[in-house]
Amino acid sequence: MGGTFVITLREGFEAALIMGIVYTYLQKIGAERHYRYATRGGLLGVLASVALGVLVTALSGPLLDLGPDVISLAVILVAVIVLTWHGYWMQQHARAVKGDVQRRIDEAQASHRLWIIGVLAFTGVFREGAETVLFLWGLLTQATSPSGWASATGAVLGLAMAATLGWAIFRGGRHISLQRFFAVTSVFLLLLAAGMFSTGAGRLEAMGVLPQSSMAWDTSLVLDDHGVVGGFLNGLVGYRARPSWLEAGSYLFYLVVAGALLFRSGPPKPRARAPKGQIPAHAA
Amino acid sequence: MRSSFKRLIACVVVGLVSVAGAVSAADAPPEIPLTIDKNQFQPNEVKVKANTPFVLVITNKSAKAAEFESKDLRVEKVVPAGKTLNVRIRALKPGTYSFLDDFNQQATGRIVAE
Repeated sequence: MGGTFVITLREGFEAALIMGIVYTYLQKIGAERHYRYATRGGLLGVLASVALGVLVTALSGPLLDLGPDVISLAVILVAVIVLTWHGYWMQQHARAVKGDVQRRIDEAQASHRLWIIGVLAFTGVFREGAETVLFLWGLLTQATSPSGWASATGAVLGLAMAATLGWAIFRGGRHISLQRFFAVTSVFLLLLAAGMFSTGAGRLEAMGVLPQSSMAWDTSLVLDDHGVVGGFLNGLVGYRARPSWLEAGSYLFYLVVAGALLFRSGPPKPRARAPKGQIPAHAA
Repeated sequence: MRSSFKRLIACVVVGLVSVAGAVSAADAPPEIPLTIDKNQFQPNEVKVKANTPFVLVITNKSAKAAEFESKDLRVEKVVPAGKTLNVRIRALKPGTYSFLDDFNQQATGRIVAE
């Protein structure tokens, strides 16, 4: 029971975190009436996960060999793009937080198309979703003995626990300042995206698309990435016990490039605008 | 903004499909069978030639889905109940590479390349 609990908790945790963050985000910018973007994205993610789970069970041959890999790579790439985009946007707003609240919110809704939130919720749920569906399905078909029931119960409780954590983030997130929330989550999303970017690069390396590189380090004796703690860190910030140079390098590359984009020095300067009817001093 | 995003996604998809095509068009390397049954890998130690690509042919004989996962090999593949699938593995340097069934973590094994 404990084993299946940990597995679904780990698989569901990332999705719950992202859902918690996007709902809090919408609440923070005063867009509660747009919760549906997050809800629809998440629900579509669940539907797509079930559909892919069914499809994988039905496929065979080369489609089964490569199909799921191609889909998971595509999801990783899209997730990296929307995470970066959203992280960048939140960082901009964390800085420009001074000023009239209502104007800020209108601007937020206009400049950050809210459908990005939907895509973010979708990829967050879908990334580990199909796997979780197949795992649960397997357990439920085995739930004919007491131990089978215990395993299935553990798995469902794991998902419930993940959902509770997501809810806790939403509840807790409402009490911290908008600025802090944006700053903290944009850093977290940056690390999450760096981990995904590096995972994607590793997959391409394993598929023979990118050149093979040797192991950069081995910390599997200290913190194994198959273990409970290491597994969580792997999902959240991309921790790897035995990464290749390509994976370590792409992690760093992403952090530097996206970090530079997010944390460019100084706040964006408001465009100086001369009041109507006056000639700006320097133009005189 | 929206259409450029769609275009980007389309490019990503086209790229991935051509990658898949290129990978599946390569020469046929040796096949190494691996079976998942009764919560175990059979065999749980696989010996392969170092520096030579190979294909793991994984068959799941149990009644529930398994996930062949190896962080060392960068592979994560769900093997539905009763199915067989092929996983291409690139040439490995001499060494030991561990794997497990992520859905049932008592089932572990390793590949020894020598």
